[in-house]
Amino acid sequence: MTFDKILDNNTLWAVRYDGAADNALKLLFDQWNDPEWLVDFFLANMADLESYFKITDINQAIYDTIDDNQRMQCLILDISPEADLDKLFRPLENSRTSEMLLGKEKAKIKERPQHASWLRIYAIKLEPGCYIITGGAIKLTRTMQEREHTLNELKKMEQVRNYLIRNQAIDADGFADYMSEL
Amino acid sequence: MKKKTQEFLEAHKSETPSKWREEAEWRRDNWSWLRHSQKIAVKVLLQMKQEGLTQKALAERMNCTQQYVSKILKGKENMSLDTLSKLEDALGINLIYDEHVIYPNMVAEEALV
Repeated sequence: MTFDKILDNNTLWAVRYDGAADNALKLLFDQWNDPEWLVDFFLANMADLESYFKITDINQAIYDTIDDNQRMQCLILDISPEADLDKLFRPLENSRTSEMLLGKEKAKIKERPQHASWLRIYAIKLEPGCYIITGGAIKLTRTMQEREHTLNELKKMEQVRNYLIRNQAIDADGFADYMSEL
Repeated sequence: MKKKTQEFLEAHKSETPSKWREEAEWRRDNWSWLRHSQKIAVKVLLQMKQEGLTQKALAERMNCTQQYVSKILKGKENMSLDTLSKLEDALGINLIYDEHVIYPNMVAEEALV
């Protein structure tokens, strides 16, 4: 795998997996902008939409996805060099309160009307304020383990995390210093 | 960012630059019509699924090429009213008018009295 710089100040990167045409963020935005892909996805996952979100109108669900995707794209485009990315990304596990080495993180649209956004961007936290995007998903269930497409995103995060550890991409001593300062 | 991490990422940068930013900016710049194009594509696709209609069959009904239908379904086509009317006629659905303007500005029940 290789890495693409998303922000010039080096705080946000995205993984480009072996054999992929572009990085994970670009491919995600392409997917969420493709009406054919969205129709197929929601037809295949309609039962989750109904049982978890209580939404039965597939048209509206896809329109909401298109609108949320646009907001997500603008959010990433408009990140200023001074922005604190720790406010955009949150620990993947809602219960996690302490820092962990190369933690798994998520970003989502906040404060949307009618229902919570189901779009997720997933990332590995390199250090405070610095992230690598590994992928993303439309999450229609309570946990990621329940569906193959979200389970696959968990595996991708683990794959990238292991790659960074194996290749000693982060300064473990520096991380230990950071932990002791908390 | 710590020097070691930055050096690692720089050393493992992709060989070709990503087009994510220019494409996202294009979508933002064209959002006013693009959102309609994407949502119309969704309506058309769902109706096609419902009828079991292929792109080729829809192209025949519209008297256009399959390639053009494919472009419409990608949600990136800035369609004319003529094209929208042809799509409506071919599928028997409403694509242009979703809601009526209540004039003067009354609530729906009052308008029915």
